[in-house]
Amino acid sequence: MSVATLHHADVHGAHDTHHEHHHHETFITKYVFSQDHKMIAKQFLITGIIWAFIGGLFSVLFRLQLGYPESTFPWLEDIFGHWAAGGKLKPEFYYALVTMHGTILVFFVLTAGLSGTFANFLIPLQVGARDMASPMLNMLSYWFFFLASIIMFCSLFVQTGPASGGWTIYPPLSALGDASSGSKIGMDLWLVSMAMFIVSSLLGGLNYISTILNMRTKGMSMTRMPLTVWALFFTAVLGVLSFPVLLSGAILLLFDRNLGTSFYLSDIVVAGKILPNEGGSAILFQHLFWFLGHPEVYIILLPAMGMSSEIISVNSRKPIFGYMAMVGSMFAIAILAFLVWAHHMFVTGLNPFLGSVFVLLTLLIAVPSAIKVFNWLTTLWKGSIRFTPGMLFAIGFVSLFISGGLTGIFLGNSALDVHLHDTYFVVAHFHIVMGVASFFGMFAGVYHWFPKMFGRYLNNTMAYIHFWVTIVGAYLIFWPMHYEGLAGMPRRYFDYSNWESFKQFASLNQFISFVAMIVFAVQLLFVFNFFYSIFKGRKVTSLNPWGSNTLEWTTPLRPGHGNWPGEIPEVHRGPYDYGKDGNEFIPQTTPVGEHESHH
Amino acid sequence: MSSVAMEQQQKIHPHKFTLWVAIGSLVMMFAGLTSAYIVKRNQANWQTFDLPVLFWYSTGVIVLSSVTIFLATRAFRERAMLKYRRLLAATLVLGVLFIALQALGFQQLWAKGITLQKNVSFSFLYVIVGLHAAHVLGGVIALLLLFAKAFSSKKRIYNLVPIELAGTYWHFVDVLWIYLLIFLMMIR
Amino acid sequence: MKAFLMVLLGVLIFVVIFQIAKASEYVSVLKGEEKTRRQNNRINAFLLMGLLIFGLIGVWYCNELYYGKTLFPQGSASVEGEKIDTMLYITIAITGVVFVITQILLFWFSYKYQESDNRKAFYYPHNNKLELLWTTVPAIFLTVLVVFGLKYWFKITADAPSNALVVEVTGHQFAWEFRYPGADGVLGKKNFKLTTSKNNLGVDFSDPASKDDIHLSNTMHIPVGVPIKMVIHSQDVIHDVGLPHFRLKMDAVPGIPTTQWFTPKYTTAEMKQRTGNPDFTYEIACDQLCGANHFAMRGVIIVETMEEYKKWLAEQKSEYATLFEKKEETKPVADSVAPKQTAQVLPAQK
Ligand code: HEM
Ligand SMILES: [Cu+2]
Ligand SMILES: [Cu+2]
Repeated sequence: MSVATLHHADVHGAHDTHHEHHHHETFITKYVFSQDHKMIAKQFLITGIIWAFIGGLFSVLFRLQLGYPESTFPWLEDIFGHWAAGGKLKPEFYYALVTMHGTILVFFVLTAGLSGTFANFLIPLQVGARDMASPMLNMLSYWFFFLASIIMFCSLFVQTGPASGGWTIYPPLSALGDASSGSKIGMDLWLVSMAMFIVSSLLGGLNYISTILNMRTKGMSMTRMPLTVWALFFTAVLGVLSFPVLLSGAILLLFDRNLGTSFYLSDIVVAGKILPNEGGSAILFQHLFWFLGHPEVYIILLPAMGMSSEIISVNSRKPIFGYMAMVGSMFAIAILAFLVWAHHMFVTGLNPFLGSVFVLLTLLIAVPSAIKVFNWLTTLWKGSIRFTPGMLFAIGFVSLFISGGLTGIFLGNSALDVHLHDTYFVVAHFHIVMGVASFFGMFAGVYHWFPKMFGRYLNNTMAYIHFWVTIVGAYLIFWPMHYEGLAGMPRRYFDYSNWESFKQFASLNQFISFVAMIVFAVQLLFVFNFFYSIFKGRKVTSLNPWGSNTLEWTTPLRPGHGNWPGEIPEVHRGPYDYGKDGNEFIPQTTPVGEHESHH
Repeated sequence: MSSVAMEQQQKIHPHKFTLWVAIGSLVMMFAGLTSAYIVKRNQANWQTFDLPVLFWYSTGVIVLSSVTIFLATRAFRERAMLKYRRLLAATLVLGVLFIALQALGFQQLWAKGITLQKNVSFSFLYVIVGLHAAHVLGGVIALLLLFAKAFSSKKRIYNLVPIELAGTYWHFVDVLWIYLLIFLMMIR
Repeated sequence: MKAFLMVLLGVLIFVVIFQIAKASEYVSVLKGEEKTRRQNNRINAFLLMGLLIFGLIGVWYCNELYYGKTLFPQGSASVEGEKIDTMLYITIAITGVVFVITQILLFWFSYKYQESDNRKAFYYPHNNKLELLWTTVPAIFLTVLVVFGLKYWFKITADAPSNALVVEVTGHQFAWEFRYPGADGVLGKKNFKLTTSKNNLGVDFSDPASKDDIHLSNTMHIPVGVPIKMVIHSQDVIHDVGLPHFRLKMDAVPGIPTTQWFTPKYTTAEMKQRTGNPDFTYEIACDQLCGANHFAMRGVIIVETMEEYKKWLAEQKSEYATLFEKKEETKPVADSVAPKQTAQVLPAQK
């Protein structure tokens, strides 16, 4: 993949001096084909926000169906035509929306939008580098993402509809156009888009890893890196090692779909046709998918963990408790993330002994997770806490991580998973621990670093409203879903009214849908605040508004390409010397005093 | 511990490092495919196959090309530019030859009735070997660009990094092929 | 029109919020930003405490509202599922305690240690003993959970008892098919290439074992108190035989048969009484997204007493008979094929 750029001979980023001589910047090179990591970060963020809007809107539409299965909404037909004939979504369209919602939020928003934004923005600024190791690859990473976005967006408009086999695209459903209209051209577009997306993630990840390992400023040893950088590092490693496996799974699926091979297909009679395929295994795909899929959930979560750690420490005015344990637990999580994938497959007929190994490894993840939670709690203990919007979201993140992590313990135990698999319990679990929690980490990051990104503040009142409605709403939406799951209510159903066992939840579903719409509306308030404040927000006047130790706050208010106008500052200490020896904070650039205490 | 000052002067060029990480990533992709292959092989309905003789010739070719690119890098380092260009050209030709031989090998297989769709084992063979050839093709394109640069009349910067990157990548696809060949021979 | 008004109302609320937000920014500049910040700090700390209190009340209230609607008050309808229920209670107890403690600490610390003039942050970067403590304690609790979990897991995944009644379950878009082995106790061979619109399971009728097999769609009958072993197939995409009342679930994968077994404890009639719901039905829910009508892929299980089951079975006609012996339509299979062996369809009594 990196081959195409081997010729790229200039030593961009490799030498500090490079950026000192200014070349002319046109609108195109500054805002479009920019190689400045900060601009690329903003491109990722804004594209991510647009996708989040689309993905969120889809969820409102399908929640409308779930909450009000008996009603019709004529305006739906005005917008979607035959997909919503008579003002009611067609099941095919419902599943297309669910699939796109999952794909968009998991990959485009919480992977590209989250890692892409903050890895690009924070890594060079926090390790003290002028830019990424290879700004060119970095730019390509964004443009591959853009291409993936365009293809996925186009797939929404094809005549047979976009992919509709769920974000996990299990074959044979996703392999056979006869099994589902979404598995026709929509699925091919999905796969091609995802291949582009994987290339984008890999290019990004390669860059983040080599920047962190090679381009730290003087004095910035690995153990002095902020936890954000550590988290982004593990995230990148997970991505670089797991995405290629998904790619190979997707390639085999493309072959099965278009070239008549039988990797995943066997003994199939569909739409009255007997298919010639023999000897394939549908389960093979699930192994390849979840080998990525499970690390992927941590790819989504780790950046949020890292940013929350940083923000909690800064705003408690205390060092993060147990820095090394925080790094160690992230390392443990990263390793274990590769060893637990089959916990998504307990009911596929997996060998029970193999299943038991995966139970053990899965529940093992709870140990480093517990360490992290208790360390966050201890960081708050006896702090001097300032509730900036970023801090509130970071605290919310911890609360959600606890709630959702604990339900993981239910699911990781195969004996319970047999009852809970593919019910709303799973929906509740992963929305709380991954969906909402990572969004909280992302919001925390946006509120905290917005002043550095745009030189202005977000409006506080809107931010507080955003936080309070979102956290209350998120719990109201997802907490009761556990009960639906315990009642065995399956996920991915278009309508429950004909089921004796599940129809008693109709009023609850309605309530959930109602809250979901309110929460969606409040996100619009955030989006408005975001774009409004870029241009009209209160100007930042102090270089270090949060009193933070890390290097990004030593740059000018609006740093140019190259980040520091003069020399890159030298680092003399770890990032979390808050409240030490009576000093409120001691930036990393402050040399260690002679009488400073040791810990 | 605070006295430990770290130099930003890296030991390894970041692009080279990036390439190594990328190689790790590619290894994962082929590891994914070969483990899928092993898993499938243990199930019913698996037919074994003999690799075409041409694959042996292509192996010779790609190993030879690794030697030429190694020599090319050395020539470049010694600033023997004429020699460098010749060796680079040789590598290019060998790379193209390799791809051609693989394609001919596929043809032989096909003629023997080992077609893409007939059995999962054959499908795997085509996908794995084909994907590898695609990576060689990527290397050929990179070499082409280097080659064009070596002949361009614009100002020449003496920069070893690109040729070294190309060399590393080229050795990687070479070693990868040898691994795949052994894999496909041993595990059928 | 209504929709338009709603949108208008939404926009209006937005504008109001925006105006308030803008105004409060100016007010804060006038009042002094530091002062406003401290005021906001107190308000938010207070609200966090409120979130904790109302949150815990909410958790309790949610349980009041919905526990009754889960399947747990009525108990597991299968013997094996009882273990899963026990496991669930153990897990709820352990995680529940952790949940309450950690959430209380999180919000209480946030409230208690809000910024204040008379206190400075306490510099406390690490403490190895504490960290060791919260590595080992969770590890111990998890070990307990793993041990219980695996014990039950191996029980439910063990081979079905030899006296189990075998039923073949086949999923296809979007219905369930059931095949009973008939008098000889053996299911006839299948080959998907033989599938036709009539022989829609692709049964190989040249296999003598197939002659007495019974084929039904969508509703299956089983006797209470006897282990039932399901051999699960799929004809097209992956489906899943979800049996919430029996606490079980197993995927149906094309080309790769799977199995699950359970022993029903209550007949459908008994469950109607236990749940107080005269419409109670044991339902098979497809639990793996399988296409547009996934949500309608409903099967029904009728659990009945052994006598009822025997009676029902005696009335069934073999698939072979239905397809090829048109004339003998009235004759039940039990009579026509192997009258003396009827008993063998039933599990051997132990
Ligand atoms: C204590 C830690 C955790 C454990 C033991 C755990 C366990 C599990 C298990 C066993 C499943 C499969 C459930 C099923 O499909 O039946 C699952 C699903 C899932 N988990 Fe977790 N989990 C944990 C934490 C997390 C975290 C931190 C994330 C994300 C950041 C996450 C994201 C997900 C997602 C996305 C799914 C559902 C995927 C799907 O089927 O669509 N989990 N979890
Ligand atoms: Cu997982
Ligand atoms: Cu189904």
